[in-house]
Amino acid sequence: MATITRRGALAAAAAATLARPALAQADDRPALTIAVQRLSNSNTFEPPREQSNVGFRLHNIYSEPLIETDWLGDLSLRPGLTTAWRRIDARTVEFTLREGVRFHDGREMTAEDVAFSFGPRLFGTQGATGAGRSTVLAGTAGKEPPAEVIAVARRTYPGLERIEVLGRHSLRFVNHTPDITLEGRIAQSVGAVFSRAAFDAAESWLAWGRAPVGTGPYRIAEYRPDTMLILEAHDAYWGGRPPARRLRFVEVPEVSGRMNGLFSGEYDFACDIPPDQITVVERNARFEVLGSPINNIRKLAFDKSNPVLADARIRRAMTHLVDRRTIVDALWAGRTEIPRGMQLESYGAMYLRDWDNPRHDPAEARRLLREANYRGEPITYRLLNNYYTNQVNNAQIVVESFRSAGLNVQIEMKENFSQVTERSPGRGLRDWSNTSLFGDPVAGILRAFGPRTEATRTGEWISAEFDRVSTALESETDLERRRGHFRRVLELLEREDPAYIVLHQAAAFTAKRRDIAWRASKGWAMEFRAGNLRVGA
Amino acid sequence: MLRFATARLARAGLTIAMVVTFAFVVLRLSGDPAQIIMGADAPPEAIDAFRTAWGLDEPVWVQYLSYFSAILQGDLGRSMRDGRDAIVLVTERIPATLALTLPALLIKIGLGIPAGIFAALHRNSLADRIVMVVAVAGFTVPSFVLGLLLVLVFAVQLGWLPSGGQESWRHAILPVITLGLGGAAVLARFTRSAMLEVLGQPYIRTASAKGVPWRSVVTGHALPNAAIPTVTIIGFMVGSLIAGAVVVESVFSWPGVGRLLVVAVSNRDLAVVQCILLLVAVTMVCANLIVDLLYGLLDPRLRSGTRKAG
Repeated sequence: MATITRRGALAAAAAATLARPALAQADDRPALTIAVQRLSNSNTFEPPREQSNVGFRLHNIYSEPLIETDWLGDLSLRPGLTTAWRRIDARTVEFTLREGVRFHDGREMTAEDVAFSFGPRLFGTQGATGAGRSTVLAGTAGKEPPAEVIAVARRTYPGLERIEVLGRHSLRFVNHTPDITLEGRIAQSVGAVFSRAAFDAAESWLAWGRAPVGTGPYRIAEYRPDTMLILEAHDAYWGGRPPARRLRFVEVPEVSGRMNGLFSGEYDFACDIPPDQITVVERNARFEVLGSPINNIRKLAFDKSNPVLADARIRRAMTHLVDRRTIVDALWAGRTEIPRGMQLESYGAMYLRDWDNPRHDPAEARRLLREANYRGEPITYRLLNNYYTNQVNNAQIVVESFRSAGLNVQIEMKENFSQVTERSPGRGLRDWSNTSLFGDPVAGILRAFGPRTEATRTGEWISAEFDRVSTALESETDLERRRGHFRRVLELLEREDPAYIVLHQAAAFTAKRRDIAWRASKGWAMEFRAGNLRVGA
Repeated sequence: MLRFATARLARAGLTIAMVVTFAFVVLRLSGDPAQIIMGADAPPEAIDAFRTAWGLDEPVWVQYLSYFSAILQGDLGRSMRDGRDAIVLVTERIPATLALTLPALLIKIGLGIPAGIFAALHRNSLADRIVMVVAVAGFTVPSFVLGLLLVLVFAVQLGWLPSGGQESWRHAILPVITLGLGGAAVLARFTRSAMLEVLGQPYIRTASAKGVPWRSVVTGHALPNAAIPTVTIIGFMVGSLIAGAVVVESVFSWPGVGRLLVVAVSNRDLAVVQCILLLVAVTMVCANLIVDLLYGLLDPRLRSGTRKAG
C-alpha cells in the first residue's frame, strides 16, 4: 500500500506547481472545430478504402506518402518522407528516406515500414502481382485487407513488381513495365506510409482502418462514425510542431447547419459551402469564404451507345452549344476557371498550351445538326440532385442551350450514380467529373476512359484507337512522343468522337473565422501544418 | 384467447416479412450498393471485388433467399460500409435517439393533453382559439422549418444553445423542443376533439343534472371516456420512438437511428436498413399491444367484451 509522507506530498505539490506553466504552455495552441458534410464514406480512414473527395480532405492530415504534393502551391511533387529520389531506369526509382521521422506510435519510420505499406497493407497475402510477390512480411495474418482495397492498390500500382530494401533509410521501387509516372503514383494517398508495428498490433483490419498509424502532423485520437473525428497534434512531427492542439471534425450534413454553427461560434471552419452562400457568409464581417479551383474538372458525358448520340456530328454540335463563361459567371460568381480541355497546368511538360475546348458557336452547331439530319429525337439527360455543386442549375442552363439549337434534351432525375449509369434504354447524357490525382494525364482522363474503365465496361464510350493510344501513353517514356499521344487522346475525346463536354474546374469553398490565417489548398486536401494556420490574425 | 393471440402474432410476422421483402426489392432494384459505397470514380476492379465480397454478383432472387433465410436464423447481416454487424450498429444508436424521443414524448403528453382539455372546456372562447391556432401552426409547420427557426433564434441570434451535435445535454434541448412541440400540437387537437365529443354525451348531462360537481364530471366521466383516441395517438408516438426523429436528427446532426437510416438508405446498406425496419416494426407491434391492453383498462366493456357497436 502506498504511503503518503509529508516530504512526498511537498515534492508532489512543488512538481504540480512547476508543471502547471509547462502544461499551460503546451495547451496554448488552439483546438479547432471543422464542420464537414461527411467524415467518411466507408467508416474507415485507410486511404485506399476512402478514395473520394471526402477522404482526400483528411488523408494528408494524418498520413503522408513518400513524395509530397504541394497542395498550397502549384500541385508539383516535392520531398516529404523521402529527401531525394532518383531514376535508375525506366522501371526503377530509388528513394532516400528522411531520417528521424516518427510515427504516431513513437517509432521511427524505416524502409521496412515503406515495404510493408506497399506490401501486405495494400495487397494482403496475394501481393501486387498475385503469386510471386518478392516482399513477404509476417504479422498480418487475420488482417487481410478488404478485396476492394487490393483492387484499388492494383489499379494504382499496376506495374509494381517489388520493393528492394537497400538499407534502413533507402529502398527501390521496381516496376515490371517502364513507367515514367511511378513517382506520381507513389505521391498518391493510397501510397501513404504507415507503421508496420502498429498494424501488427491492431486487433483487426477494421480496427486498423479506423485509426491507421501514420506520420502526418496530427494523429487520429477518436472516431465516432457519422458524428466526429478528433485528431490531436503529433508533436514529434518532422515538419515542425503542428499549430493546433486538436482538430475536431464534426459531421453536419446540412449546409444550413454548418453555416449556423459557424455563425454561432461553435465551428471555426465550415466546409462544402455552395457558391450561392458565399455572400451570405461574407455579409458578416467576422467570417470569410476561401476557395479556388481544384484538381477536378466537371464534364458532361455522352453515351455513344445511345441511338441518337451514336452520330458523332450530334455530339460535336452539342460541344459548340455550351457557353462555359456564362455558367462560371452565373453559378460560380466567376470564382473558378475554365480549363483548356481535360488537362491542368499542373501537368507541367505534358500540358498542351495550344489546346482548347470547342468554341461556343451555335451556328456551327445548327449546321452539324442539319448535316446529321437530326429530327428532334429525344435525348435523355440523367441528372442527380446536386451531387455536384450547382449540378441542377448547371443542367438547366445547358439544356436550354441545347434546346435553342433545336435539340430535344429531356432531364430525368435519378437518385444515385448506379441509376445514372445503368445500361438501359434512355441513357444519353450525364454529369461526371475527373480528378487528376497527380500531374499527368494518366492520373486524370485515362482513369475515366480506356480499356480498364467503367466507361468501357458500361459501353458508354469505346474506341479501339483510343485504347491503343492511351495504352501507349501509359508506357511511353519519351516526352515528345507522350505529348503526341496525349494530343491524340484529346482529339478523339473532345473533337472527333466526343466523349464529353468540358464545363469548368470544380472549386471547393470553405467558410471560416476571419481571424484565422489559413489558406485553402488547390485540391480537396485541407492543410493544417505549421506555416498554414495562425489564430488571432 | 390462444387463437386470438396466435392470429395476432401471425399477422405481425406477416407484416414484418412484407416490410423486409418490400425494403429488399426497393433498395436492391434502385441502386447498386457497390457503386454507391465505393464512389463514382472507383475503378471497375474495386467495384467487382466489392460485389463479389458481398454476394452482389448473385442473381437478385438468390440474394433475397439467402438474406431471408439468414433473418429466420436470427442473423441480421453486416453493414456493407465497414463490415460490422448491423444489429450492433443500430443498437449503438438507440440511446442517442431515445435521448431525444423520450423527453419529447413527455413534452407531447405534458403539453398537448392539458392544452386540448383546456381548449375543450373553454370551447369557442378566446383561449380556445389561441390554443387551436398555436396547435394548428405546430401541426402544420414541418419539423425542419421549426428546427431551423429555433436554431436561428436560440443558437445564432441569442447564442444560448448549440445549433447541433451531441456533446452535452444542452445539445438535446432544441431537437427535443422541435420534436415535442409538433407532437404536442397533434395531441392537443385530438384531445380537444375527443373531449368535445364526450362532453356532448347524455351521461355527462345526466351527471351534471344529478348535481355532481363539474370538476368530478370532467375527471370521473369525461376524461376516461375521451382517453381512448388520445391513447391511440400516444401509441403511435411510442411506436415511433426508435425511428421517429429522422428529419430532426438530420437538421441537428444528431447521431441517432434516424441519421443512420438516412445514411444506410443512401448507401443501399441493406442489412442496416432492414435491421432498423425490423426494430421499428417490432416497436410498433409492441406499442399496439400495449394500446390494446390500455383500451381494456380504460373501458370496462372492452374487458368483458360487452361493448356493442353503434
